[in-house]
Amino acid sequence: MSDIIISLDKVRKVYFLDTVEVEALKDISLDIHAGDFVSIAGPSGSGKTTILNLIGCVDKPTSGTVVVSGKRTSDLDDDSLTELRHTSIGFIFQTFNLIPVLNIRENVELPLLLDSQSARSQPKVESKAERKEWVDFLIESVGLKDRMLHKPAELSGGQRQRVAIARALVMKPAIVLADEPTANLDSATGESILRLMRHMNESFGTTFIFSTHDPDIVEEADHVIRLKDGRIIEDRRRSGASATHLAANLETAEATGTEGGQL
Amino acid sequence: MIAARLAWGNLGLHRRKSLLIGMIMGMGILILFIGNSFIDTALSGLQHMFVQGYTGDLMVTGPTEFPTTVLGETAGSEEVLPHIAQIKKYEDFLAGRHDVAATLPLLSGQVDFGIGETELGSGYCFGVNADDYRKFFPDNVTLVSGGWPKEGDGPWVLLSEPTLALLNKSAPAPVQPGSKIIMTALANSAGTVIREVTVKGVIKFNQSNQQLAGITLADADTMRDLLGFASLRDGAPVLTGQEASFVNNFDPNALFENLFVSGNAKQGSDPEAKQGSDPSVASGASGAGLSGQGAVNADKTDKAVNADRAVKAEVVPAWQFLLIRVKPGASSARLLSDLSAFSKQIGDGDRVQDWVAGAGKVARTAVTIRLAFDLLVAVVAVVVVMIMMNVLIISVNERLYEIGTLRAIGAKRRVVRNMILYETAFLAVIAGAAGLAIGLVVLLLLGKSGIRAPNLFFEALFGGQVLKPMVSAGAAIRAFLWILAMGLGASWYPTIVALRIEPVIAMRGD
Repeated sequence: MSDIIISLDKVRKVYFLDTVEVEALKDISLDIHAGDFVSIAGPSGSGKTTILNLIGCVDKPTSGTVVVSGKRTSDLDDDSLTELRHTSIGFIFQTFNLIPVLNIRENVELPLLLDSQSARSQPKVESKAERKEWVDFLIESVGLKDRMLHKPAELSGGQRQRVAIARALVMKPAIVLADEPTANLDSATGESILRLMRHMNESFGTTFIFSTHDPDIVEEADHVIRLKDGRIIEDRRRSGASATHLAANLETAEATGTEGGQL
Repeated sequence: MIAARLAWGNLGLHRRKSLLIGMIMGMGILILFIGNSFIDTALSGLQHMFVQGYTGDLMVTGPTEFPTTVLGETAGSEEVLPHIAQIKKYEDFLAGRHDVAATLPLLSGQVDFGIGETELGSGYCFGVNADDYRKFFPDNVTLVSGGWPKEGDGPWVLLSEPTLALLNKSAPAPVQPGSKIIMTALANSAGTVIREVTVKGVIKFNQSNQQLAGITLADADTMRDLLGFASLRDGAPVLTGQEASFVNNFDPNALFENLFVSGNAKQGSDPEAKQGSDPSVASGASGAGLSGQGAVNADKTDKAVNADRAVKAEVVPAWQFLLIRVKPGASSARLLSDLSAFSKQIGDGDRVQDWVAGAGKVARTAVTIRLAFDLLVAVVAVVVVMIMMNVLIISVNERLYEIGTLRAIGAKRRVVRNMILYETAFLAVIAGAAGLAIGLVVLLLLGKSGIRAPNLFFEALFGGQVLKPMVSAGAAIRAFLWILAMGLGASWYPTIVALRIEPVIAMRGD
């Protein structure tokens, strides 16, 4: 079994909407292993994005611990969290979030350019020539070689998401988080994006975690985490090995009368 | 640099906002550039005219609490400015300074001109040593007709062209070099003084305004007479021993005591008690006569012993002004400070002032215009900064997801801050270049227009009688720095807003 790269232990996340307290996650515990292709499934409001936010170090838990690449995120300051995101995590957003003023090549290269801002971070791609070669390779890999100098506005949704995948991988991160990456795409394009992600997962050994509410896409994952009302109702690995915290989550689900735990 | 690349791209993407802010900046630079150029022109023109032609860089005047112009105009109540009692000490002090190029003593006042019983007009007159004056202001006086006065000449005047024209309007016979005219003045210590002088020549001031162009130059002794100071025309007074003794032991109180007390018991009042009395009293010309210390400086040790021997008084001539020219590159502010300290040390209450005070209303107007302009700029700057700030905040709020995405993928806060600062700086440079280019064209066109100043206010504004705004690199740099500072000031709060954007916002989608 591969090493655990992400671990959530009794994580609770509470938001305040004016004076109303909304508990988005309720004592969540889970482990994700390096190289996993993980889907987080559940209906809207179940807490999928909140889990991704916590794993992606863009948010902190109200209680409990989140450990990413061996670092407890609640112990890190803003700069360290930024560093961790930059070096270890790639993001694929539902709305693509490409930078409109940069062309495709520049968008993909952007995280590498941000790399030079930090004295602490060691560039994973050393020379300019290597960088160029690597960026070109990624763009070619996502099938956009002939669109390299186009602006995002000149691309279709699927093409933009391909660019986002290439950008997410350019720093050779250990983890890529994708928040409903196919939600804004038609089914055929969505499938192709998923295949691409799978291909990258297998090629680079990168851990992919994506959220979705599409049941067909959920089943493409090796490791499925199903959420409902802020609780895990299923934590299943395709290999047959159930996640460490599955029993506990099932107990919780039973206690709250929710369905789940089907392997 | 990625922050600069993003900033540049954003300017293009948000063209309307960039154009709006750019136009505000460009207009600001244009107004500042033209305004500062005008003011620089005014001050530089006036400074050149006065320093090179009338006041020097600095001047010492006789005791007065108020700024006094070289024409003798003072805000105080003196009809005639007192003389500098210890001018020699100033001259010695200045001679020892490496930053002083030259000094010139000068008398100044208003006089009436006439021929016989006919009054011809009045004007300002400087009492000078002609050679010294020409050496001090070598480029400002041109002889139009007649000749320069020579040493040993009798009382003389050099009439300026406008004054000659004024006199000839009502003169019974044309006034010209060689003519004798009457000069009259009301001296506060000597009543009305009348002197006949010879017109030696007609002069023209190369740099002048309506007021200065009519100045008459006269020999210093004539001017001393007219102002009520003791003249040295006939050399120092020669006193008999008895006179010297009287002068040195003079006690006005004793006169009155003698009226009521019989005998002359007080005649021999203690001479030692008079040692410290005001030396000007001894001159018999009050404070406005022979100069200060030792106005009549008879040898006091001998005075009692050699009562019958004739004593020649050592006399320092009275001067109201000592003009000072600072060497090129030297700091006149520093000399002003040092000289003020020295003057305080002397303790006569003399005034040390710069050319602005010496030039009077016209220079003060220019300085006031500059202050008013700076104040106006400061007020407008606040308004402009508020407008720019609002536009930038809107711009930041429209880019929440973009900035959030940058933060999410690893951009530290400083990248976001630099991006906004670069946007402001790029706009300042582009708008600045446009504003400066337009300003340059406007200044060149105004320079060619040859607009004449209709009055003293505009003369102060134009820095001379004709508008010739100089294209000042200093004004351009100041305008650019102002706008850059305003731009950076305006981007301060929007930057804080941008830095508060958390990466999590990127996950919410746009």
